[in-house]
Amino acid sequence: MAATETATTTDTFIRPDGKEKVTGTGRYTADLTLTGQAIAKFRYADHPHARITRIDTSKAEAVPGVVAVVTQADLPDVRFGGFVQDRTLFAKDVVRFEGEIVAGVAALTEAAAVQAAGLIEVDYEPLPAVSDYVAAMEPGAPSIHPDLAAYEKDENIVAEGNTMAYSTIVKGDADAAMADADVIVRGRYVSDASQGVPIEPRAVVAQWQGDEVTIWSSTQVPYAARSGVAQTLQVPEANVRIVVPLLGGGFGAKCDLHFEAQVAALARAAKRPVKLVFSRREEFVAIAQRREGITMEFETGVMRDGRLVARKATLILDKGAYCGEGGFLGQMAAMHACGPYVIDHVAVEAHLNYTNNQPSGSVRAPTAPQVCWGLEQHMDEVARAIEMDPVELRRRTLIEAGAEGPTRQVFDEVGMKQTLERAVEMIGYGRDLPDDEAIGVAVGWWPCMPAPSGAYVHLNGDGSGTIVTGAQENGSGAVMAMPIFVAEELGMRPDDFTVLYQDTAAANWDMGSCGSQTTFNSGRAILAAAIEVRDQLLDAAADELEVDREDLELAEGTVRVKGSPERSVPIGDLAGAGTIHGKGSGDVPDAPTGDTGGCVGRLGNETFLAPQLITQAAHVKVDRATGVVRVLKVAAAHDSGVILNRRGADGQVTGGVVMGVGLALSEGTMLDDEGRQRNPALLDYKLVTCADAPEIEVDWIQTPVQGAGPRGSKGVGEPPQVPTAAAIANGITKVLGAQVRQMPMTPERVWAAAAEARS
Amino acid sequence: MTAPFTSAVTIDEALAALASGARPVAGGTDLVVGARQGKAPLPDALVAIDRVAALAGLDDADGGVRLGALVTHEAIVGSDAMRGRFTAVADAAAIVGSHATRANGTIGGNVMNASPAMDTGGPLLCFGGEAVLRSTAAERAVPLDELWTGPGTTSARPDELLIAVAIPAPAAGTGSAYVRLEYRRQMEIAVVGATAVVTLDGGAVQHARIAITALAPTIRRVPEAERALAGGDGGDAAVAAAARAAAEGAAPISDVRASADYRTAMAEVVARRAIAAAITRAGGGDVPIPASDALYGA
Repeated sequence: MAATETATTTDTFIRPDGKEKVTGTGRYTADLTLTGQAIAKFRYADHPHARITRIDTSKAEAVPGVVAVVTQADLPDVRFGGFVQDRTLFAKDVVRFEGEIVAGVAALTEAAAVQAAGLIEVDYEPLPAVSDYVAAMEPGAPSIHPDLAAYEKDENIVAEGNTMAYSTIVKGDADAAMADADVIVRGRYVSDASQGVPIEPRAVVAQWQGDEVTIWSSTQVPYAARSGVAQTLQVPEANVRIVVPLLGGGFGAKCDLHFEAQVAALARAAKRPVKLVFSRREEFVAIAQRREGITMEFETGVMRDGRLVARKATLILDKGAYCGEGGFLGQMAAMHACGPYVIDHVAVEAHLNYTNNQPSGSVRAPTAPQVCWGLEQHMDEVARAIEMDPVELRRRTLIEAGAEGPTRQVFDEVGMKQTLERAVEMIGYGRDLPDDEAIGVAVGWWPCMPAPSGAYVHLNGDGSGTIVTGAQENGSGAVMAMPIFVAEELGMRPDDFTVLYQDTAAANWDMGSCGSQTTFNSGRAILAAAIEVRDQLLDAAADELEVDREDLELAEGTVRVKGSPERSVPIGDLAGAGTIHGKGSGDVPDAPTGDTGGCVGRLGNETFLAPQLITQAAHVKVDRATGVVRVLKVAAAHDSGVILNRRGADGQVTGGVVMGVGLALSEGTMLDDEGRQRNPALLDYKLVTCADAPEIEVDWIQTPVQGAGPRGSKGVGEPPQVPTAAAIANGITKVLGAQVRQMPMTPERVWAAAAEARS
Repeated sequence: MTAPFTSAVTIDEALAALASGARPVAGGTDLVVGARQGKAPLPDALVAIDRVAALAGLDDADGGVRLGALVTHEAIVGSDAMRGRFTAVADAAAIVGSHATRANGTIGGNVMNASPAMDTGGPLLCFGGEAVLRSTAAERAVPLDELWTGPGTTSARPDELLIAVAIPAPAAGTGSAYVRLEYRRQMEIAVVGATAVVTLDGGAVQHARIAITALAPTIRRVPEAERALAGGDGGDAAVAAAARAAAEGAAPISDVRASADYRTAMAEVVARRAIAAAITRAGGGDVPIPASDALYGA
């Protein structure tokens, strides 16, 4: 199909879930009510770190209406976790953060459940709490997981003391190269932890029928939830069905196993359906999935002509109390401390440390926006140190085709430099501005995540079609756009198709809505299935029309002879027998190779497959007297390969930029000395509002990627979050003449930096 | 036992319910939100007063104005009388919470909630507003600085209903402004706020009232700041001196929203901007409503 026609299809396409969401008729997990259901409440830890000496549930069980009380003693003695298996469903012996679940209650009314949860008696022997994730790795720091060495873990995890994962990215000899640099620049930056804040708080409903359980859950990763339930409750995956009703946002915060197993355990004990709906406070405090705090130290050796001869960096990350799926965070952060630059020698180390804080996990581009925020401020400082314009420095040092990455991965065609030129053009870089305004520029990258996927495409007897996919729709529209691609393949209309999705009993395993990979992996599988359907249609039509199938084409709902469109057969007729159905997975692309032998703690991020490349420029206005920053405009130029759905892709950038403005300026979780959250509410955890959203201009550098994503595409969901805060920071520094070295760059912190610049 | 929920259509019905122990609810933007956040449980008995027509008027009264308890923030922002004569009140009403808060939240609820962070409080105080309180027994008018006794507490008795807030006519040549420190443009709560009501005569400041918001247990006027301004030329030096005095009148706390040091520094900045805007308006100059937005730029 011609490109112009494709554009028309996506421009007019209305996503199937749009109307119900916009009009309020959509059903989310919390809207479900099953006959006889009980309401679940959790009893949380009374201390951030303590040994449990006694749990007595008898008073809770005696509350009228209580139908189940469950603790870890009632469940298999199984620990779970993505890279390190360090957690049990309910606390076993020790609680390690304020949101740790000690027990669960199910009761016929919410009031009874609340009352009973409060009546569970728990005696503790408090242990010293470690909230400072830098101090956590000092000798003599209290141990969070004394049994860490004995836990099951990924063979590449390097753990010691409170450091759950140590990893390095190494190339050449950075120390020796640093000695030869014209100038060495050092900088330290600290990013606070923050949250994904989906507007829909988590909800889970579980119902057993015999030995099989159906769990409706507001998860981004139904298959990961299924395997987590199977593992922790010791039942076969075949007996666990996860269904996701409409999902009200996730932003990564709904990745990983999250409460499905606890609710299923309660439902089994109660012998009736059980429903859990989180409050906003629980959505802040109890989830094991926030954006990690990171302390960063960068050192860069540069020549006067801009050549980057050496980069050293030490990153310390706050893992929080448990691993979850976030074991890879340190190594991912280390790659972002290198960035999409050509650097001759690299030595980056990352320490992912346990604390008694809320666990960290993937929130939209995990680690990247924080490290990019530090690195890109550092790069602007490098430019100042050699008296070079910061855009010119990037022009000279960004990767291009044939360049070597931090582990000597050699890049194919990459549009990195083109994104830089386009972004500075869109923002009008270099023009005169009032003295309280400036433009900051930042670059970043994000890898494509290769993963298996599988899909079916059926044609129904009337010629309509059904797409069956394991992909999960998080609101981005990635799954909702699948009918476009199948329709294009089959010469049909997107409206001819419905999508069966978010049900683990219906489709193959899928990674879920994470890693910017829905179109990248699930789309590949769906296209492969559509191509099988196409082949079957061509064969059937060749018989019917008695022509060679090479002479046929699919168009306008028919299979027809090329050049003689009057000789055609409607697809509906060919589908009438109900035998047209395709399945597909496509080939999972291989991770690129590099020279990774010198790296410690390799967990799969030491090379970047088909990196998405990003430049964003932010026009900011800084009120020096108050420190209040307004972002007036962001220009975003991205190379995400070939864009398959322009409207959907633009929407991802718009949302990602707004989320990035929040991360930059106002979103930070504040903790007390023992790791308790001080602002777990939307009044004091400040998201930006529509009124704060800048003008956002988007353009795409469409460099087709070879052998990776479908039709030359890459991911789009996470990149817009990556350099937004960094670009804003560089704009602020230009206005103030001083850097804000802690994020979020709140008015108070900007004001303090302005005062420092004045004195 | 008191009925847990009744709905009144006359003031007398509402007063009777209060006399038997019910608490009033109108827009519900403080009561319901507070209960959901666990700040304070819903009272055992509620009387809805949102349909009491006699509480709904925004009426001119000899150059002054009488704001019925049910007047919403949105209605205040839309009132020519408020924008023209009591501009600082309009500044404040225009930035309370969100669009939804302003459409539902009432001035009566706002005043009786007695939050030290209440945006409309400083302007009402500086304009000499009085709370008209009525019980089944009597009606009385209480100046707002006597009404607010602490964070969330008032001198009103449980059986008294706020009927209206009465504001006397301002002197000719009066201009006013309320300015708030704003981390974001909507859904914001005052961390630092300042009000100035200034009357010019010829080139001189004849009269000034200055109040600070969210900087002390209650919203309070700062007489030292008012004295620093009154009688002078209202020039930059006088404005700066008055703003410094306003900041010295603050007794800020450190919490998740700001440190005490920052609050103190911002008290001076925000007061200076409020005073300058009030003087500009008093002199016939244009500062758009709300003043906060204009001061932070686009």
